[in-house]
Amino acid sequence: MPGEPDYYALLGIPRNANAEQLRRAYREAALRLHPDRANQPGDTELFIQVNKAYEILSSDEQRSAYDLKLAAAEADQAARSSFRCDVQQSRRSLLQLDEPQVHYLLVDITPSESVPEHRPPINLSIVIDRSTSMRGQRLDQVRSAALTILKDMAPGDSASVVAFSDRAEVIVSPDQAKDMATARARLSLLQAGGGTEIGQGLQLGMEELQRNFAREGVNHLVLLTDGRTYGDEDLCLSLADRASEQGITINGVGIGADWSDRLLDDLASRSGGNVIFLDTPKVITGLLQRIFDGLSQAIAGRVRLDGSLAQQVDLRSSFRLMPDPMPLGDSLPLVLGNLTRQGRIRVLLEMVIHPIGQTDELNIAHFTVSGDILGGTSEASSLPVDVRIASARQPDPDPPPGDLVAALNVVGLYRMQEKARHEAELGQSAQAARRLENLATHLLAAGDRDLAKAALSEAERLTHTRRLSIEGEKVLKYGTRALLLLPAKAGGG
Amino acid sequence: MIECPSCRHQEFVGTLYCSECGTRLVSVSPVPTVSIARDRIDREAMATKPATPEGPELESGAILGLRLINSGEIRSLLGRDNYTLGRSVEGQAVIPDVDLQASDAYEQGVSRIHAEIRLEADGVYIVDLDSANGTLVNGKALEPQRPALAHHGDIIQLGRLRTQLISRFRSER
Repeated sequence: MPGEPDYYALLGIPRNANAEQLRRAYREAALRLHPDRANQPGDTELFIQVNKAYEILSSDEQRSAYDLKLAAAEADQAARSSFRCDVQQSRRSLLQLDEPQVHYLLVDITPSESVPEHRPPINLSIVIDRSTSMRGQRLDQVRSAALTILKDMAPGDSASVVAFSDRAEVIVSPDQAKDMATARARLSLLQAGGGTEIGQGLQLGMEELQRNFAREGVNHLVLLTDGRTYGDEDLCLSLADRASEQGITINGVGIGADWSDRLLDDLASRSGGNVIFLDTPKVITGLLQRIFDGLSQAIAGRVRLDGSLAQQVDLRSSFRLMPDPMPLGDSLPLVLGNLTRQGRIRVLLEMVIHPIGQTDELNIAHFTVSGDILGGTSEASSLPVDVRIASARQPDPDPPPGDLVAALNVVGLYRMQEKARHEAELGQSAQAARRLENLATHLLAAGDRDLAKAALSEAERLTHTRRLSIEGEKVLKYGTRALLLLPAKAGGG
Repeated sequence: MIECPSCRHQEFVGTLYCSECGTRLVSVSPVPTVSIARDRIDREAMATKPATPEGPELESGAILGLRLINSGEIRSLLGRDNYTLGRSVEGQAVIPDVDLQASDAYEQGVSRIHAEIRLEADGVYIVDLDSANGTLVNGKALEPQRPALAHHGDIIQLGRLRTQLISRFRSER
């Protein structure tokens, strides 16, 4: 927030911390960050800030003045913010324990009503894998899908088509895309042949996007591939990180069974995008249209969840549930993508809270939701969000929120599938098969017969061949992920 | 830590779904399972020489029984050929045949369904049922789920709770 650093978050103490808590937190932080100890880069700067924080907060007079300024700054920022944020917690109070405990947060980000609705300009790059395996129906479908999207372009939009095998070239430049006849002719030149080097395609696609970068719009890269990239994974990941810094989201579309779902997931999750698994190329046109429609409805882009967690709190995992389910990382900031008028961004955070002793209240996190409001004049907006929780000797008797339970249930199934796959890779096929059978039971209970059947047949395959099929892996992964899109059973969504 | 009732996987307090088997953990008691340092159990158990119980215990009329060392209380085991040992928790579906809750079982590290005593033709067997803190017979830890022959006077330790087996069966029979 402008001008007022949050010293409480810095020290990991609640805003109503007493002198003793403050002193303890300061000592702990000062010891940890002291320049005499072996430190990480940046610790010394933190050490200076911590000292400054202690200086202000330990003086009653300075502290009350600071509290007023901080509250005013935050209230002002919240009122002006274009975002609303609602946080549901799994419990209303933590237990005062000498051991770690798990706590979940369900964070909902919505636009405030004051945000004007304009269709944002769309800056799109379609990056197509034209390796030999794409030959035939796959490439035909991709070609016609690209053409359909180019037809839908509105005047302020910009689009390009890039194709790559072991090298990349621009097939349709943004200028050529404006004229359908030229675009059609250029697309017909697109022929399959060569290997798969995703990094080449990503790089060129991103260059095209930067050329027409839309500050007041969405900048989006759709990567269509059916194969594995060899040897340039690191380049891909660093490009995804750069994309995230520049505000470009990457959407991965995997066709068939041979593509690397882990790489695509990683690219999308770093940049706030999504990954879609297509077992048949026939639906590509419909899919690209849905992606395009989604982009045209965005009213805020480059949404992030940043901030600081209390010292006793570790983020163990995070999962974006809406608009597109996607596992995210275990460190802030979380890159969340676009927000639409009717939609919301919903994130599930799993945190481990280390022993909290006798404190009455813990300021779990001080988050900042930030993003750019699109359309008209682009402006950055942010919203500070404080998450606190009481602590008690007795467990909270109330059940956790229904939405949160329903989401955790499905995320649990997703993780079982991940575990089984991991075990299968380690050669523990009996264990993996047992886990998949267990997963099938849960899937049946959830009413998803097809997915349950897939899990069972993979379990059987494991006992016979000791490995999973590459297609089955993806069916289970994206199938359990898609369960999060269904209306929540417990408590309603 | 809390324990998943279905697969006994240990999870942090506050976890809502078992990460191993996907079972919902909401109904599990939100208080942690008491864990006791292993070496401490062993040391205590090793220091105990099993004393053969004399007259008074057997005069209680029990053919088979457990004497709780700390309180001296005797629980007789009558009328069945197997008994589960453990502690009850409010709302728990399965209650052990021998409920040790009144004997500070939780603090002593006794699991809810901790162990079983089985009467077989050739004697009395103790089986550890995958308890959190283990079962020891005369200071020797049992392998979970593997029945071990026990004799009259043996010290059976559940977590940290010590009991002595009273048995008129002669295992040598």
